[in-house]
Amino acid sequence: MNNLIIEATEETPKIHLKKDTNEFVISERSLPENAVEFYTPVFEWIEEYQKNPNKETIFDFKLDYFNTASAKQITKLLLMLEGLQRLNKVKIRWFFKKGDLDMKSSGLRYDKLIDIEFEIIEY
Amino acid sequence: MLNDLSFAFQLYEGMEKDNLSYIYRGLFTQGVTDKIISLTETNLANFGESSKMKKRVFSIMVEGLQNITRHQDKLSQDEKSGIFVIQQKKTRYYITTGNLIAKDHIPKLTEQLDKINSLGKEELKKFYKSVLNDNMMSNKGGAGLGLIEMARKSGNKLTYDFKEIDDEFSFFYLHTEISVSQETKNEDIIYSLTNIKQLHNILNKEDVLLIFNGILNQDNLINLLSIIEEHMSHALLLKKRVFNIMVEMLQNIVKHGDTLEPEKGNSGIFFINKKGNAYFLNSGNYINNKKVDDLKLKIEHVNGLNDKELNKFYNDRLFNFQIDSSKEAGLGLIELRLKSKNKIIYDFNKINDEFSFFTIRTCIEYND
Repeated sequence: MNNLIIEATEETPKIHLKKDTNEFVISERSLPENAVEFYTPVFEWIEEYQKNPNKETIFDFKLDYFNTASAKQITKLLLMLEGLQRLNKVKIRWFFKKGDLDMKSSGLRYDKLIDIEFEIIEY
Repeated sequence: MLNDLSFAFQLYEGMEKDNLSYIYRGLFTQGVTDKIISLTETNLANFGESSKMKKRVFSIMVEGLQNITRHQDKLSQDEKSGIFVIQQKKTRYYITTGNLIAKDHIPKLTEQLDKINSLGKEELKKFYKSVLNDNMMSNKGGAGLGLIEMARKSGNKLTYDFKEIDDEFSFFYLHTEISVSQETKNEDIIYSLTNIKQLHNILNKEDVLLIFNGILNQDNLINLLSIIEEHMSHALLLKKRVFNIMVEMLQNIVKHGDTLEPEKGNSGIFFINKKGNAYFLNSGNYINNKKVDDLKLKIEHVNGLNDKELNKFYNDRLFNFQIDSSKEAGLGLIELRLKSKNKIIYDFNKINDEFSFFTIRTCIEYND
């Protein structure tokens, strides 16, 4: 399947989803005016990927900042990955910049709410 | 004055005659200057200005900003920090800059300004060339060239004023008008510089860093965020909290605000000031009277929750993917409470049968 490559802008994150090299990354900042619209292709890609996923999917969240509208879309993405877990191993690596305790708490919050293995990593 | 929220409304009313205006007050770093320029770029494009007008506004703005950066002292704070103001009224733009100046430079500067103001268009052109020549001969740097350029580009006289700060320094205000036609009487310009000087006193007293009054759309939001990001030199966590709250407040206006002039987009005011060890973020916009009671209930509900309840409420709302039609507060309001750790202060000011002016303020305390 094709890779999904979205490069970062001042208001939207970088999203690289590559099945062949087993790389799944969302990073930078996410504060689009219309978060639902922005994340739609991501959900479509994951839906496709779910049909034939890799043995192990390690998904990196390395966000610098996200607004509340994006928070909901991230929840949705994590729920999809939770579903994927029934078939294959899934792990979330949640990165936060040293000192960014709010980004760390966001990771801990999702860890509590979503039934996937989370690793919270300071960088 | 900021203790009562009507300040936001007063500011808005005071600036209402402007289609657009914003003020930055503080340290002008390269980053801040760049972001102010792109904010103006965005707005000039939004207003569909001709490229000739854009260029004129641009070059005056750049000269003005350079004046400030060249003369600012990195340590100057409060009433000593520089100020940049841009206003748009109908077909005219006004750019005002203010910066500290050593008192012994005043006579020379005054002489230069008066000389420039005494010259007509052609004479200015000649004067520019002769100053340019002198500069090249003596290697002196651009003494006075910037001012001549501003006068030429504006097509109007330069209005200026000084305010004494202490024994050594004064504050120098320079006010320029850029109009499509040149029919403005000079008194108007003097009048608005007086207004700005008065406003500047208030801004100094309340330690206001940034005011934006105009159409709030995503482009302006991004530019405003960048200015504040460049401005703040605090620890990462505080910076991000301010950023966070600012995004939610402004996107709220973009999404839910109402407007008296639908064809233009949602206008509103945003300003940020410091007091003691706290940042205050304030916004004001019009909303339809029908929405007032619901919104009041939502804010009151969120204000009444403790930290644990807020977190639970946040988690619940996080999993609600329905289009938001419920009477419960959205994530944005909960976020304001969670990130600021303070209650949301708000006010509704009924304007007419249809609209109210809604102001909201959040406070973020810090220790660094």
